[in-house]
Amino acid sequence: MPMMTGREYIESLRATKPEVYFLGQRIKHIVDEPMFQPHLHGAAMTYELAHHPEYEQIMTATSHLTGEKINRFTHVHHGIDDLVKKVRMMRLLGQKTGTCFQRCVGLDGLNAIYVTTYDIDQKYGTDYHERFKRYLLEVQKNDWMPAGAMTDARGDRSLRPSKQKHPDVYLHIKERLKDGVIVSGTKAHITGAINSHEIITMPTRTMTEEDRDYSVSFAIPADAKGVMFVFSRQTNDTRRLDGVLDAGNPKYGIVGGEAVIIFQNVFVPWERVFMAGEYDFTTELVETFAGYHRSNYGGCKVGLADVVIGGSSWIAEAHGIGKASHIVDKLTEMIAMAETCWSCTLACSYEGYRTPSGAYHINPLLANVTKLNITRMVYEWMRVGQDIAGGKIITLPSEKDLNNPASGKVLEECFSGKDGVPPRDIIKMLRLIENMSVGAGLPEAMHGAGSPAAQKIMIERRSGIEKKIELAETIAGIRKDRDFETIVGKDEKTHWDEVRKKIEERRAQIH
Amino acid sequence: MTCPFGLLESMFTIGVRYCGGCNPQIDRSRIVIDLREGLKKMGLEVELTTEKERAVDMVLIVNGCKHACLEAKQVESDCGYPVISVRGEMVDDQYVEEGDIIKILIQRICSFI
Repeated sequence: MPMMTGREYIESLRATKPEVYFLGQRIKHIVDEPMFQPHLHGAAMTYELAHHPEYEQIMTATSHLTGEKINRFTHVHHGIDDLVKKVRMMRLLGQKTGTCFQRCVGLDGLNAIYVTTYDIDQKYGTDYHERFKRYLLEVQKNDWMPAGAMTDARGDRSLRPSKQKHPDVYLHIKERLKDGVIVSGTKAHITGAINSHEIITMPTRTMTEEDRDYSVSFAIPADAKGVMFVFSRQTNDTRRLDGVLDAGNPKYGIVGGEAVIIFQNVFVPWERVFMAGEYDFTTELVETFAGYHRSNYGGCKVGLADVVIGGSSWIAEAHGIGKASHIVDKLTEMIAMAETCWSCTLACSYEGYRTPSGAYHINPLLANVTKLNITRMVYEWMRVGQDIAGGKIITLPSEKDLNNPASGKVLEECFSGKDGVPPRDIIKMLRLIENMSVGAGLPEAMHGAGSPAAQKIMIERRSGIEKKIELAETIAGIRKDRDFETIVGKDEKTHWDEVRKKIEERRAQIH
Repeated sequence: MTCPFGLLESMFTIGVRYCGGCNPQIDRSRIVIDLREGLKKMGLEVELTTEKERAVDMVLIVNGCKHACLEAKQVESDCGYPVISVRGEMVDDQYVEEGDIIKILIQRICSFI
């Protein structure tokens, strides 16, 4: 099957019948459900742009398995160029949707499992990697969107998975059969889950021997028997039902459309199991995934920043203050923050490396720094955007009141700006800024791909503080400085003894 | 570890190539010093040289981190020689602790002698 277009992707979801619940009701057809439309459109953009000649350089890749042209979202990175194009693709899609387009989690899951299964096989002589390559081939051939499911519900965070009162707060193997495994458990906050063709799971944390059954990774179709989705609420989500204008970004929505995935005695054939008890590789899988995923945030969120910076500038101009020095200053501040994050994410890719599997990984230290910056800077540039847009972003009347003959005309006058700018356009832009800067997008920037504490742990682990101490000791003269000794042509002690002697002589001359 | 060092007719020479060392995760010079000592302790007559013009039997690339700036370019220019690449805490495609790098390098070098 060739790469799907956006429309074909949405139609392809009609063939899947996932068990989805929202607001207490079973959703029969996700494709026709108004509440899900923006999320479908956001993900569809990842398919659509691959067909546009002006974007295909970054939206497509050449499969290392078949040599065929594929959507980059199904590609395993095989060079620095791939890693760079990946984050360029993230920024582009952020610019095109103004929100989360959901498909990067699956992409990162595919890459992390590819890298880790190779290493597991090297140690244990298993055949996970070959299985996974066969699965990857299916993903590429069908141009599937797999949802990457990592975060478990987790229950009491002070207890290990195997010690939880409710075993299903972590996904785990209940039974090992000749032809596969039976799994149960819960994955939470899973982006794009309801509109994905497949689910690929990964453990959420480092496991120990006692958590062997929780060390599990596999892939299943989204409508596999025993899998249930509960779609999560978002701020202002039902605005979509109140009117197009009120929704802010009615086309692509707000964040990624997360869901809880409940697995109840789900059968997974061995062919689709990529880790089953190798607890000593859970750290590698989690950290590899987290590295890829955290680096993305300096791409997609910067794409969103581009939109909100453009929107803020447009509003200032419409309000007649576009040239005011404080506005120019604020916009410049927003741009500088966004481009700082962009620099970080490019650095992650350019400093990437080849793993033993042959796939390329980003620089994990820089990826965590990128994400930590995102947890702060997104709030900051959205704050400045709100500052420019003004208080109207939270006090605007509804579309229904604008359409009411009794109040509409006076409201449009009330919200007018510079001559020639339609008041409805001003309201549209203010609603977009409200959607992007007030809603669920902010905590998503904080917690998506892991909370700040997780990034700090990784940064601390990889900072190489001992090497920095050595540098300081060398310059301070505590540790031998070979380069300095070469420059002065003698050992340091002799050099400083001579310097001291010269100082004494000079002092004697002066006095 | 087996190594037919007694059978060498002339001294085995390894060309050492360093990356630029911008932010190394390992002490690159120390690796080469320790390697020289390790080979000597084993009675191996191996010369390590950084002279680029000299004919060598193999090339050891010492990158300070996994990014391995030097690797692709060096492999190209030293085409024809066997190459061992240290990439931070990796030797070729194997993850190793910094303290084990010398042991792994000696094993690899012996396999070429």
